[in-house]
Amino acid sequence: MLLVQLLINGIQVGVLYALIAVGFSLIFGSTRIFHFAHGATFTLAAYAFYYVYAIAQWHWTLAVVAAAAAAVLFGVALNRFVYVPIQKHEGSFFTVFVASFGVGIVVQNLCGMIFGRSFVSVDTPLSRSVEVMSGVFVSPISGIAIVIAVLFFIGLQRFLMGTHTGMALRALSENPELVRVYGMSPRRLSMTVFALGSFLVVPAALLSAASSGLYPAIGHHVILISLAATIVGGVGSLRGAACAGLLLGLAENLALLYFEPQWSEAISFIVLFLFILFRPSGFFGRATAT
Amino acid sequence: MLAYLLNLATLICINAVLAITLNFIMGYAGIFSIAHAIFFGVGAYTAAYFALHASASVFLAIPVAMLIAALISLVLALPALRVRGEYFVAASLGLQVLGVTVFSEWKSITGGLGGVIGIPPADVFGYDVVDPVAFLALAATCLVIVLIATTALLRSSFGRNLKAIRDSESAAHAFGKNVAVIKTLSVMLSSALAAVAGALYAFYMGFINVESFTLETSVLLMAMVIIGGTGTVAGPIVGTLLLMLLPGLFSYMSFLPQTEIGSIQQIAYGLAMVLLMIYRPGGIVGSGTRAAGKGKTA
Repeated sequence: MLLVQLLINGIQVGVLYALIAVGFSLIFGSTRIFHFAHGATFTLAAYAFYYVYAIAQWHWTLAVVAAAAAAVLFGVALNRFVYVPIQKHEGSFFTVFVASFGVGIVVQNLCGMIFGRSFVSVDTPLSRSVEVMSGVFVSPISGIAIVIAVLFFIGLQRFLMGTHTGMALRALSENPELVRVYGMSPRRLSMTVFALGSFLVVPAALLSAASSGLYPAIGHHVILISLAATIVGGVGSLRGAACAGLLLGLAENLALLYFEPQWSEAISFIVLFLFILFRPSGFFGRATAT
Repeated sequence: MLAYLLNLATLICINAVLAITLNFIMGYAGIFSIAHAIFFGVGAYTAAYFALHASASVFLAIPVAMLIAALISLVLALPALRVRGEYFVAASLGLQVLGVTVFSEWKSITGGLGGVIGIPPADVFGYDVVDPVAFLALAATCLVIVLIATTALLRSSFGRNLKAIRDSESAAHAFGKNVAVIKTLSVMLSSALAAVAGALYAFYMGFINVESFTLETSVLLMAMVIIGGTGTVAGPIVGTLLLMLLPGLFSYMSFLPQTEIGSIQQIAYGLAMVLLMIYRPGGIVGSGTRAAGKGKTA
């Protein structure tokens, strides 16, 4: 029974990881920006939802809109006011990374000051678990998470494959110069990428807030997972990132069968470390690391 | 007041050693590690274990700590040889997370979350260094030795090789430099010297636990190097002074809520990192444009 329970938990966590990782992978793959503040986007969206729904006690639809708006605005503003100016004078990945890291620290501490440093969780009618079999507890949230994730992936696939902008985004990851030659603006496209990538963390942020709870430093965990999934899946492959996210979620939960819970994060990183050493291009990757 | 100043000065010396050693690989070898706190921790735990079970003499405990840290640093050198840029940052992040888990779970050596208590005072030629002034002298001596050693190394042919590798690995390789050996040596050296800071910290505090060696510490060290100026001699020291004096400064501003000082301080250095990267990527000491860290993206 424990195995079934862990599998269900693993899938629930895994689909959320997949969504987060796809957002990061989309941004990293097409703009080459090491967007460490992706975790901060997640934190902001989750706390916006928490504030509007649990503290201000407005209707949940408003809370969802607030979270989505917070994530998208933050992502776009970060690109416009931090990444673009840095890339104007030099494009070294480390400069961008440090700035992004700095933003992450600021957001984490601001959230800590405003909302307190302890755990908070949003209690919704859907968070309560029901016993479906003897010893197996499932909350409606798990089902919702899976449905939403699948819908988002189908939507994203449609967008990237079927629309003009989607095609341009894929072209951007292949060759930004050629995109410019074809008369499109890489800068405007990267804005779209940031809006889209940031939007993708929203469902994961809301569902985590409603199920496992949140704390100001949660962004660290989020970015670690996104990074691991992006590299294990192969940079530039959204499908890879999604699969790897799901796998990481499953691995983290199934590891509980053999190890104590403190080791779950470390296990994900041993996997990441081995991938970087032996197969830096990941499952589906085309880019090589050296 | 004097006790406070002495404490601050000692901690500045210890952190400056860490910043200088981190700058050694970041600024000169182009290896952007965010696992530096792990080697600080390895040094501290090794020295503590050695002092408790064998001898508290600094002439024995510090070399042992250095040796262990150098050996463990091979784990960091391995990915450094194979990948660059984002991939290496990710690998070192993985090592940092793994290290913290080991520190908090390997209870027989590290005491778990409770940490190691009752570390005996440092022993120099049979004298116990208990007096804060004496300990400050010890820490300052170590700082000067580390500073001289790294500066001398960077001026030698080894340093020139390192810079050559940073600027173009394939060119250095084409000139017959053994890139793998030079990189591995630089990582080992930097980690071994970071362990000196760890050992000093263990002796000074008499108590260590995993809290001091987390990702936050690694980031703080990185911030010291970057804010001061990567790839400069004075940069890490300026950065350390600035970031260590900042908390004191904030606690004098009485209009700030006292409970939030920690957060305000972190926000200040986060903002400093962002603004410096936009307007002055070379840091305070560095030239306007960044000489170091033109890390090639994969």
